Formats: sequence, structure tokens, C-alpha cells
Amino acid sequence: MNHNFNTAGTLAVLALVFGSFLPVFAESGNVKTLETGTFHGKVHSTMGRATIYQEEDGKLVLRLTHFKTSNGPDVHVILIAGTDAEDDANFLKGGIERVELGSLKGNEGDQNYEIPAGTDLAKFRTVSIYCERFNANFGAAPLEKF
Amino acid sequence: MTTSFVSSLARKKLILTAVGLPVLLAAWWAFRPEKLWINEKVDEPVPFASTGDPQPVYTGTLEGKAHQTSGRATIYGSPAGKQYLRLTDFMTSNGPDVHVLLARAGDQSLNQEIVKGELDSVELGPLKGNQGDQNYDVQTSVDLSKYNAVVIYCERFHAVFGVARLDQF
Repeated sequence: MNHNFNTAGTLAVLALVFGSFLPVFAESGNVKTLETGTFHGKVHSTMGRATIYQEEDGKLVLRLTHFKTSNGPDVHVILIAGTDAEDDANFLKGGIERVELGSLKGNEGDQNYEIPAGTDLAKFRTVSIYCERFNANFGAAPLEKF
Repeated sequence: MTTSFVSSLARKKLILTAVGLPVLLAAWWAFRPEKLWINEKVDEPVPFASTGDPQPVYTGTLEGKAHQTSGRATIYGSPAGKQYLRLTDFMTSNGPDVHVLLARAGDQSLNQEIVKGELDSVELGPLKGNQGDQNYDVQTSVDLSKYNAVVIYCERFHAVFGVARLDQF
């Protein structure tokens, strides 16, 4: 009993110590590059880089650079809970959890997408260019720590 | 006889049109085939005010060959034209006469643990530490589209400790 209490106390102290570090990061006034990865996709030739930045106020932004994919109907940018995805993978059938970032703005060129606050980047490890109409993954970029 | 034949033809035409047109329209809406030829180009700027700080130009992750090696290799370029390599979350085994080189990513000798003969490479200097973040100057004359791989290389034994193939950031 006493031992359990000590463990809880230690955890509380640790939480306080780590918690106090967080505001320091937020106040550093710098944009941080958190994650990056390159797209692969052969069926619908997809290439380029996906990078997740954290802005000064903590907001997360996904930026696509050197990006190119095939144009298609109802194409969206999503984050999926997985470490990678195969060409034409159907996430609806697979019941894979996802975070919607919006309709693809263009099938070529640099573009930014806001990531909803509270998105767990430890869980959502892959960016997918997803055709909602046919439930097909055009291309995926597995993310790695920058 | 002739009139009924003609009217049956007309009826068939009507049915074909009544059925075919919606089918064609539905198929067009679903597949949007014209998108195969139409590109939507965008060019958004970075979502934050860009500072004068050096920006990443190329990056890649290190893979171990002869020895376990891990981490990220990134080439930064400054607006003034200076460029440098930065290793982060870096770890390799310690060894004698270990150097940091740039080589060609497609070079077959990089697939081997021991390089036979000379490696076509650009020397960046002796490895400063086998663990931790570190920077190496890269001469502006170096063609990074040709030398697009970072190699942790033991000169004494011609051993490739690890390779990072670089992609445009």
C-alpha cells in the first residue's frame, strides 16, 4: 500500500517535471520540423515529400513539396493509423482509423494542410492521398522523425 | 410493315438514348476521365514566415551496413549559399579512421560491406563522434544531385558502416 503510494507520488513528480518543460518549447518562438517522409505509389504515380511542422502556437501543419500525383475525382489528404499503406489499399474495408485533412488542393505542387488539434502523431504515422469515390490509396508517405 | 419497322427502330433509338445517356453521364461523373489530361497545379508558400536560417535541402535516414548505424542525415543550405551536412539522432559503432563522405546513391559498392578499390566520393572529414548531433561543411562546388548519399566509412578497412540515400526536402 505504502509502496503503491510512493509510485504514484513519483509519477506525479515526473509528470510535473516533464510538464514544466513543455511551455519552454512552445515559447522558443521557432517552427519545428517534427516528421518527414517521401511518397510512393506506382498504380497512380505519386511522388514528393510530406513534412509535418509545428508552429510557434503549437498548431500542426502538413506540407507537401515536390509533390505530384495523378488527378482524380474526390481525392483527399488523410492521415492513417499505420506505418505504411500499399497502392490501391481500401482503408474503408480495412476499418483503418483516419484523420481527414481536406480535399487535395492540386495534383501538382507545394501545398499546406492544417492538422486538427489533438491529433496523435505517434499513432497516425502515414500520409495518404486517398480517392474517396473508389476507396483507393493513390500514394502513401510513411513518416519518420526529422 | 414498313411503318411499324421504322417506328420500332425509332423506339429502340429512344430507349437507347433514354438509357445510354444517363449511363454515360454517370460514368463520366464517376471516372472524370478528362482529369487524366487536366492538371491542377498549386504553389503555396511555406505556412510560416521564413527566417534567414539555413533550410533543409536534402534529407535521408541512415541504414547500417558493416556496422549498426542509425539516425538522420540532412543537408542544409543558407540563403548566402553556404551548405552543410547535419547528423541527428545519430549512432554508429566506434572504429579506427572513420570518415564522413558523400557518394553516388546508385554506386554498387555501397551495397557491399567492404568496398573493393576506391569509392568515388567527396570527403567531408573524420567522424567527430560515433554518437550525437554533428555538422560537417560541404563545399559549394559539390554537386549534390550527383553525390546524393552520405556514407559513414572506415578508411582503414574500406568498410561501409552506414549509408543514407538523400531525397530532396
